[in-house]
Amino acid sequence: MGLFDGDIMKYEDWNKISRIASRKSLWMVHFCTGCGAIELPPVMTSRYDMERFGMGSMATPRQADVLLITGYLTVKTLKRVVNVYEQMQSPKYVISFGSCPINGGMYWDSYNTVKRLDRYLPVDVYVGGCMPRPEGVMNAFLELMKLIDEGKARGWEKYQKYYEQYKRNQKMAFNFEREKDEGA
Amino acid sequence: MKEYELFIGPQHPGVTGNMMYHLWVDGDIVTKAECNVGYLHRGFEKLMESRGWMQNVPLVCRICVPEPDVNEMAYAMAVEQLMDWEVPDRASYIRVIVLELARIAAYLMSIGSYAGSLGIYTLPQWTLGDRDYILDIFEQLTGARVYHIYIWPGGVRWDMPEGLPDLIEKTLSYIEKRLKLYDDVFFRNRVFFDRAAGIGKIPKNRAIEWGVTGPNLRACGYGYDIRKLEPYAAYGDMDFEVVKYPELGDFEVISDGCDAYTRIVVRRLEIDQSISMVRQALKKMPEGEHILKHPNWLKWKAPAGYAFSRVESSKGEYGYFVVSDGSSKPVRIHVRGPSYTHGINVAETILKGANIADVSQILFSLDVCPPDIER
Amino acid sequence: MKALELIGKGEEMHGRAYIKSDKEEASSIIKKLKENGFDHFVMLSCVDWIDNNEFELVYHLWSYEHKEHVMVSIILPRDNPSMSSMHELFPQIETYEREIHEMYGVDFEGNNRLTPFMLEGWHDMPPMRKDFDSKKFAEDVFDSIPEIKEEEDEGI
Repeated sequence: MGLFDGDIMKYEDWNKISRIASRKSLWMVHFCTGCGAIELPPVMTSRYDMERFGMGSMATPRQADVLLITGYLTVKTLKRVVNVYEQMQSPKYVISFGSCPINGGMYWDSYNTVKRLDRYLPVDVYVGGCMPRPEGVMNAFLELMKLIDEGKARGWEKYQKYYEQYKRNQKMAFNFEREKDEGA
Repeated sequence: MKEYELFIGPQHPGVTGNMMYHLWVDGDIVTKAECNVGYLHRGFEKLMESRGWMQNVPLVCRICVPEPDVNEMAYAMAVEQLMDWEVPDRASYIRVIVLELARIAAYLMSIGSYAGSLGIYTLPQWTLGDRDYILDIFEQLTGARVYHIYIWPGGVRWDMPEGLPDLIEKTLSYIEKRLKLYDDVFFRNRVFFDRAAGIGKIPKNRAIEWGVTGPNLRACGYGYDIRKLEPYAAYGDMDFEVVKYPELGDFEVISDGCDAYTRIVVRRLEIDQSISMVRQALKKMPEGEHILKHPNWLKWKAPAGYAFSRVESSKGEYGYFVVSDGSSKPVRIHVRGPSYTHGINVAETILKGANIADVSQILFSLDVCPPDIER
Repeated sequence: MKALELIGKGEEMHGRAYIKSDKEEASSIIKKLKENGFDHFVMLSCVDWIDNNEFELVYHLWSYEHKEHVMVSIILPRDNPSMSSMHELFPQIETYEREIHEMYGVDFEGNNRLTPFMLEGWHDMPPMRKDFDSKKFAEDVFDSIPEIKEEEDEGI
């Protein structure tokens, strides 16, 4: 006789309550991956204050909910970000800042940056700009909370379902092989 | 006793950015340290070789993230050396105002982060909140909070709008009032004296040989400041003192210098000097043009030659080496960041013998910023 | 300028002293400059002149006493370039040599620490050379990675 068999509580109602609790206390992993991280301290401190929405920063990924990719990602950082993402417990969300994860941004012809983020990690919310303003960042957090409430932020399920495709893409980026031109 | 390997890794609140320190520890004492960078390498110098002289200006300011104006200034100075240009006076004074305001914002952020590494979390909340008012001034002047793209080769992009001098004066008086609060909470705090005195000492007779520059060098007792040795912009007309150990104003001298305590107090006193310089520049500003006339950007060719320009930033000495062969794209631009020496060779040497709990404090007091190590 | 008087050759370029030297003499020139007030080593740069088939190494020094900046330049051949290391004079030269070894492929004899510095798992040509095309590399490697194909019944 479990909690959901019988008429104690329906599964959908329990899900709704757990989503309300989840969106009111999202904790982000403390990882400044790129240059977009300069607009994060104003959001965390006294002027724009994200703590009134229940968000705080957490040092270990094991107890965090949200991973913020602030700006561009190099190949060396992507390996560590994948490690951090896989250590987080479900349900977990990813927000990406700036125009670099969308299409490469300003470093579109660089040999070391990863151009599109959603081929390696599932992204829930994108914020545009270079850099996004603190008001834009707060808007993204509120948008994420709305999506959680409606049950639409399911990036972690996508990662589990298409795991082989994500891993194949990551391996192609880490161990790149180019065809040699003649004469090389 | 076996040694234990510890990684103060890229995802850690105790490093100043996205970099890694590999430590070997024996009990609680560090015996060897190695720095591992490359997490932020975008290949700037390669990208700059395939863009024209004017197209590099938005790219250059993204090298140093907390204080982007020094990079724009150094690049503009190097291009002006190659072209043999003389910048108008009004532009020089506006450049001084922009650089000094950026310096105050960067010092507030670095003092706040250092206090956070000691555990006094009130101070970052205050200083980062007050630094935002300076970013409001930049927004009125240049249109953006962080990456301004305002200092161009030949002058500045547009003139100061009306009402800006009043806003600057209002912000500066507010910051002066708040500095007294910081002194009471942090700079006369018993915890700061006990934890920071004598930690992370750089030997005085090796400091210049190791390539230490900026406030770290002045905390060792050498009064060298590029704004006095090789004045650029309008610094030749400014009246300011170089802050060095042991002249620490109202603050106590409790150690022999070159340690974490002195480095932070030097930064605090230089905020006062910067505030006075902004007021002087506003008073002495002449009338005139704000930029020279540029050639057509698509066909701009700089004469062949080698140019080197240096700028004093809040972290140390920034240097730009620009080589041109007479065409419309540079042959080589090499950027020298101050954290190249501070973060790698100096940190690896002075972390030996420190406690694990002090590693984070030493790195924040040296003000190591990874983007300018690996560009 | 004081540096040009000390060494006896060179020219002035935009207010800086520029001295051309070669592989054997460079170490003694830099030691002499260090003993005479030029004690701040600013940086070590490398320029790739692909049309002349050579590399140019430039050593920058600054003197706080005389307020002068010196550039000592050495030409190396482009195939198999190598130079002796100077990290006993200034410790930070070890890191500059490491970076130039990784980015240009120049070998420095006497430097034991020529390990990978900024790039991890890189097995292509040294990227700062002029015949490495960064845009083509980015297209070949990163744009060829396929998107995630979702099944039709998802509708997330």
